Amino acid sequence: MFSSNSTSQNTLIVSLKIKLSKLLLQPTFLIGIVLVIILSYLVIAPIVSIFSNSVSLTMMDAMLSGGKDGEFTYKYIDRVFTSSISEKIFWIPLKNSITVSFFATLIALTLGLILASLVTSTNILGRKYLGFLLIIPYMLPSQAMATAWLTMFKNRKISGPQGMLESFGITPPDWLAYGPLPISICMALSYFPFAFLLFSSALSKIDIQLEEVASTFGAKTKAIWSKIILPLLIPTTMSVLLLTVARTLGTFATPYILGTPAKYTLLSTSLYSSVRSNDSGVVAVIAIVLSLIGLMLLLVDIWVVRKWQRFVTVGGKGIKRQPSKLGVFRMPTTIFAWIIFLIAALGPFIVLALSTLMREPGNFAFSNFGLAYWTGVNVPGMDQPGIFTSPEVITALKNSFLIAGSAALICGILGLLIGYAVVRLPGTLISGFLRQISFLPYLMPGLAFAAAYLSLFAVSRGPIPALYGSMSLLILVMVVTYLPYASRSGISAMMQVGPEPEEAGMVLGAGFWRRITTILAPLQKSALIIAIILPFITGMKELSLVVMLVTPGTELLTTQSIRFLDFGYTQLANATILIIGVVVMISVLILNRVTKTNLASGLGG
Amino acid sequence: MSEIKLKSIIKNFGGNSIAVDNLSETFPAGEFVCLLGPSGCGKTTTLRMIAGLETPDSGEIFYGDKTFFSSKTGELIKTENRNLGLMFQSYALWPHMTVYKNIIFGLEMQKKSLEEKEKRYLELEKLFHLENFRDRYPSELSGGQQQRVALARMLAIKPSLLLLDEPLSNLDSNLRLEMRSELKRLHHNLGCTIIFVTHDQMEAMTLATSIAVMNDGKIEQIDKPMEIYNNPKSLFVAKFVGSPQMNIVNSKKDEKLATCLSKKINIEKEKVKNFGIRPETMKMVKQDDGDINGTIETIQPTGADWIVGVNVYGKSLFLISSDPPIGKENDTVGIFFKPEDCHSFDNNDLRIIKN
Repeated sequence: MFSSNSTSQNTLIVSLKIKLSKLLLQPTFLIGIVLVIILSYLVIAPIVSIFSNSVSLTMMDAMLSGGKDGEFTYKYIDRVFTSSISEKIFWIPLKNSITVSFFATLIALTLGLILASLVTSTNILGRKYLGFLLIIPYMLPSQAMATAWLTMFKNRKISGPQGMLESFGITPPDWLAYGPLPISICMALSYFPFAFLLFSSALSKIDIQLEEVASTFGAKTKAIWSKIILPLLIPTTMSVLLLTVARTLGTFATPYILGTPAKYTLLSTSLYSSVRSNDSGVVAVIAIVLSLIGLMLLLVDIWVVRKWQRFVTVGGKGIKRQPSKLGVFRMPTTIFAWIIFLIAALGPFIVLALSTLMREPGNFAFSNFGLAYWTGVNVPGMDQPGIFTSPEVITALKNSFLIAGSAALICGILGLLIGYAVVRLPGTLISGFLRQISFLPYLMPGLAFAAAYLSLFAVSRGPIPALYGSMSLLILVMVVTYLPYASRSGISAMMQVGPEPEEAGMVLGAGFWRRITTILAPLQKSALIIAIILPFITGMKELSLVVMLVTPGTELLTTQSIRFLDFGYTQLANATILIIGVVVMISVLILNRVTKTNLASGLGG
Repeated sequence: MSEIKLKSIIKNFGGNSIAVDNLSETFPAGEFVCLLGPSGCGKTTTLRMIAGLETPDSGEIFYGDKTFFSSKTGELIKTENRNLGLMFQSYALWPHMTVYKNIIFGLEMQKKSLEEKEKRYLELEKLFHLENFRDRYPSELSGGQQQRVALARMLAIKPSLLLLDEPLSNLDSNLRLEMRSELKRLHHNLGCTIIFVTHDQMEAMTLATSIAVMNDGKIEQIDKPMEIYNNPKSLFVAKFVGSPQMNIVNSKKDEKLATCLSKKINIEKEKVKNFGIRPETMKMVKQDDGDINGTIETIQPTGADWIVGVNVYGKSLFLISSDPPIGKENDTVGIFFKPEDCHSFDNNDLRIIKN
């Protein structure tokens, strides 16, 4: 008895010894475990908190109705789905959201497909430039299009300076100025570059030999497109469709700017007003609904991708498709593509810029132009300093750089760390868990996630103090929301390098830290720069995620522009948006310089 | 210089099949051992476990009097401290370091003085004809040059054990021939133990002093190259080594041909599941002059010799001859084979040793 006991104890000690030395051999394990703990808290806690908020009585309601604070209740679920105000806060916004998403997606998809086909496969004039120019709208913050629209089509219904058309004596009707039509168009123009990018990449991936085979059977260009290329694009189309719908549902700026004057509410703006009125139970319920819709769309997307897997074409020899000659259609299609560029990218810029340079809208007299809105100490008629002297703008600019910058820095490093742990610990629980959990925030729309963070960090919990009103909350929420993108690019960067360079160092006697500093870090330098710049760009444009978390003092450029709009200072709002646009453009140029490639699908938000 | 001893090594990656299945083998000091086998047979895993890049689930690995790993005592020496040379299929040259930096990396880890590094570098530079490449980056080198840099980097620290993981597969055939002789010369000059992983039986035959044929995580046979070729211990080894492959005649499916073969080598047909004849051991003769008649189906000249497909009782046999075939397609010819060149394998696919 005794002897067998002692041998089993011995083997236990031996196996523990091996486990320990393996652990020391691979500090990756420790990194992985630390990441698991941090991410579990940052990702899972908000989700749990939002679910619990949806069914527990708030203190306010407890006092009003005589229940106990935190008591289990169906009150908020009832309020959203069945009460007398449910029409107003949920059902009508839901219907509006569906309508707007439907039309916006339809337009974005069609534009994206047509333009991608023209640019990748025809001899349209300026195709080299269009490939880059057409994705510019994607880089602009989503409120740029909306404020440009408002600057153009605004009528007397709301206060502030005249709209441009009105100053020419044309009064745009309400349906053109506010509500579903402009919202759909603006969203479509903001999101079509996404479809354009995906379709372009799908088109360039289709093996040209598939088309050449068809042409040996006598198929003409038209037949090749209808019988071969377009059917092969079905899976891409489905993906574009679902992702664009998901994006439009989560967009806040456009419906807020163009819908509010006409009292046209979408789910996102309804959620925002519930936050404003401190109705945390209702916020939680709507956030859950938004997340479920997001989850459903994602599941459908996964299912579609799997179902259409057989359509995945294995890359051929990388021969580029010869641009087909458009003949008489060359001019009309060229004009069409450039007009889209004009409306979606250049137009908003010009409108925004003009509005900040003209003292009175619509008056093109030379004397009417000036820099008052930019450099003025006291802008006439507004009792506000110009952009460059406005303390609000300067604070917001500082905050934007500080918050988006720190979030991007953390995100980039975290993404690569996650990538390292996932790739170097294949087949382990840690690897699988990290992969899944870092993807989880992708399912929740930014608004819902922000709502969750709001409720979680409004009070101090455990070692973490109450963060509401602090910059760290904004940084934290950005980091977690961008984590899916960061970790995915981190994983692929690590995959690309593979274990060999490190193993070669190991064999020659380099220890862990030595390998990280002399081999891995230099190899991943450009991946790291990209991993920082991409979230920085997204962070500079971010609105929906931060709009309900900012407080006076932590305003960002994006939220400051919304404040200006709220007060009717359209020109100041426009100038602020232009500043964001410029910062983003410069970042994109740096990014292009670093990657030496066309910036592609990495841009989120 | 010492021998490598593997004892009951088991490694499982969690899939359905086991990567290395209870492997016990000793690779003698100074040998050039080839681990040969199809992809997924566990050869690279075995090599990586010797290097310490993977840890076995259980078993022991000894190098001379050093214990690299033992699941019995819990000993484990880190890769960093095993002092061996390893070369990858991709070479794994660091793209951000110059040729010089790459090669002296190992010496730098050992904190060698500048003079020592310089001296060793100059030696290696000469040995591998790398003059003028000192400040180049790996991407500015050709495949063959990269390979030589990788070899130099590996040898800089004078390891007594070299592990090579398919180092020739990324080269074109000319360069491969050149590199094969280079490796052979290197082994001869350095006298160190080399373990070499490959799936290319030609490479194994030409380089190794002994070949270990692996299949499904086990070593099927370890022997001198010609022994492996002439006396394969199992059907798997027989089929894997040799190109074109050995002709396999199944006693059930190709009954008539099998009967003829069993008579020729004087063995009971019932005992044999498969017969094997190497293509170059058969001779094509005039109709009715050989042991059996067949119809020529295909003739493939390779330049040096001819590969002829002959249909015998519905079974296609391939012959190689350095003389032009005596007939053309659809002609009937005779085939002659020597009994000592006919292999026979039992129901467990093991060689039947004739007495």
